[in-house]
Amino acid sequence: MDAIVEVRDLAKQFKRQNGEAFFAVDGVDLDIMRGEIFSLLGPNGAGKTTTIAMISGLLNPTRGSATIGGHSIIDDPIAAKKLLGVIPQEIALYPTLTARQNLEFFGRMYDLDGAELRTRVDEVLEFIDLTDRQHDKVETFSGGMKRRVNIGVGLLHNPQLLYMDEPTVGIDPQNRRRILDTVVRLRDEKQMTVLYTSHLMEEVQQISDRVGIIDHGKIIALGTVGDLIHKIGEEDRLVFKVGDQAVPEALLERFKAEVEGVSSATYEKLEIKGENGDAPVDIRSTSSLQIADGTITVMAQRGRKALPDLLQIANQAGLDVLSVEVREPDLEAVFLSMTGRALRD
Amino acid sequence: MLRKIWAIAYKELYLTYTDRNQILIILVTPLALATIIGAAFSGFLSPGGNDVPIRNIPVAVVNLDAGTEANGTTINNGQTFVDLLVPPDDISDEDLAANTLYQLTNAIETDDAEAARAAVDRDEIAAAIIIPADFSASLAFADGTTITPVEVYGSAASPTAATIIRSIAETITAQIVTGNITVAATIEALTARAQDDPAFGITFAAASSLGGFQPDFAPAFNPDNNPVRIEQQTVSGEAVAFNPLVAFGAAQAVFFMMFTALTGANNLLEEQRTGTLQRLIASPTPRIVILLGKLVGTFFKCVVQVTLLVLALTLVGSLIGGELQFIWGNNLLLIALTIIAVALAASGLGALVTSLVRSPEQGNVIGGVIALAMGALGGAFFNVQAIPELQTLQQLTIVYWGVDAFTALSMNQTDIGLNLAVLLGLGAAMFAAGVVIFTRRLNI
Repeated sequence: MDAIVEVRDLAKQFKRQNGEAFFAVDGVDLDIMRGEIFSLLGPNGAGKTTTIAMISGLLNPTRGSATIGGHSIIDDPIAAKKLLGVIPQEIALYPTLTARQNLEFFGRMYDLDGAELRTRVDEVLEFIDLTDRQHDKVETFSGGMKRRVNIGVGLLHNPQLLYMDEPTVGIDPQNRRRILDTVVRLRDEKQMTVLYTSHLMEEVQQISDRVGIIDHGKIIALGTVGDLIHKIGEEDRLVFKVGDQAVPEALLERFKAEVEGVSSATYEKLEIKGENGDAPVDIRSTSSLQIADGTITVMAQRGRKALPDLLQIANQAGLDVLSVEVREPDLEAVFLSMTGRALRD
Repeated sequence: MLRKIWAIAYKELYLTYTDRNQILIILVTPLALATIIGAAFSGFLSPGGNDVPIRNIPVAVVNLDAGTEANGTTINNGQTFVDLLVPPDDISDEDLAANTLYQLTNAIETDDAEAARAAVDRDEIAAAIIIPADFSASLAFADGTTITPVEVYGSAASPTAATIIRSIAETITAQIVTGNITVAATIEALTARAQDDPAFGITFAAASSLGGFQPDFAPAFNPDNNPVRIEQQTVSGEAVAFNPLVAFGAAQAVFFMMFTALTGANNLLEEQRTGTLQRLIASPTPRIVILLGKLVGTFFKCVVQVTLLVLALTLVGSLIGGELQFIWGNNLLLIALTIIAVALAASGLGALVTSLVRSPEQGNVIGGVIALAMGALGGAFFNVQAIPELQTLQQLTIVYWGVDAFTALSMNQTDIGLNLAVLLGLGAAMFAAGVVIFTRRLNI
């Protein structure tokens, strides 16, 4: 597989209001292969939007280079942009034009005209399932329908590379599912390369062939979801809530000794905290309390398989387990492991 | 390239003319205003024809002209103003009624310029015509370029009347200048013939030495012998030389069109906010094409608006006058060129303002202030001609050059080349500056 996007030492410097210069993107190297769904993941302000803006030709890099299909976005922007379809996060449409008028207008901006334009608009309307509403003004559409038109505009010229910037923000689960299915269909049916940005690691993990994690303007991890998780270890985390029951150390030792794959088991007793999260507190002098259940945390290589044995041992010890949660390793954990911060921080 | 420019421009026009609010702002408001203006000026265009109902405009004529000697004859051109405007004491009622200028003005002669100006300031008279002491001397055999100007001191409180008096003074001055140049040319021709033809030269010299050559040029300045002057002074004549509806209507049309231009250009910032501009930039469309598309759209909106207002004001004028009359003059080509030049200048201004502001809100405020300032200086609200201090400043405005061209065309004058050049130059310069600045902003 060859790369459709090649980014080398890409950097962008801005100035703060006090005149201080800083790099929003600082030396990004990246290859995106033809036909893959590549996701750029990072918290707000990490530099993913700036990186994409430079690849899309919206921003001029301070240094470095970016090519789409071999065309430099700096030296040959028109040729590079012909290969690129852009689906911005906001609904970038004219609300008082109909869905069809919006598609026709933007189609002309991609050099489509006449019969070819009409055919492509018809195909896109069918693809986004809005043929029956094509003559309605966009301002009368629901949020999900507007999103679909927004996506349709990016597909008009059958781009080789499609950039989708958080396309599921602010829409209901049904439409989100539909959009994610669309992304996969575009890759599978039209062999389109998709560059996807999101801060929702669940959907990134679900659809991506490869993921780049960006933080403070630098790519800190790059690879398949499996590769990245493998980097931080593959153990599942099982959390048992036990309320205020006492948990003997012997029970924790039995978990480790008798259940296959368990590497550790720890217990945190019930805790009563004050309104500031301080503990312990004098409950007679505080206005509100936070009660944290006692929890047993077990780390196991295959958590779901170990769960029945763990529950049986707990039952034998007379422990009443209130709830169980199995947390499999994910990109959130990867990011946490690499930066010490959560993605949403 | 052109196809994309037109696609963007067409989209602009479509969005505008399918939006009721925009139509209200662009067309209905100025049309309503034009009607009100028409009603306000209805007295000028009464059903009886073109006779001006304004009568007895109070004016003082201050003749300080010391006169000049020519061939032993004293010529005092300043006196011509007095003779034309101030009726003699012994004039009969019949002659008074027959003289249009006597009817139009209520002129008195005085020799105190300061007192006349003070009377204008107190709004006791509409204007003072002050002929300088060296007026005739500067005219003697002059080529017309070094003439000491006549001062018309107009009242800001009576702008229309002051403008009429100014128009009259300009016309009289023009006639005097023309007469003097004709006389000079005649004498030069006689002298040249005398040199070429010895027989004629002897006769000419003899006549001169005997006092037999005493040319009387007075008839040239006699109103009865100078029908052209009366024709030009057609405030009440056969053709409307000055039509306040044209001046004020054109000022309103250009003023409102500037709002349209500024709003249209400001729309670019709105597109930046909604993300459609970024979407356009991400397409294989050069930034200059996007900006040109926007400009063309705004330009057409301006052209449509001014054209409709010109037609509407014609209708208003015709309704008031009781018959169809095209008040903008006969030269349709120059009228069209003026509309185009004014629309281009306003579109250029819009592009420049948009490039300098940071948000649509800022653009609305700053654009509004600029439009109001240009409207005020250009004569959309009052007659700036009556305030000498503002006359230089007003030449910086699009409204002034546009209104001046429309007014000249309405009087069937065609010397509006400077107006067109200034408007087109302003439009091109401002648009170029706007494109450079805005493109630099986008190329961050």
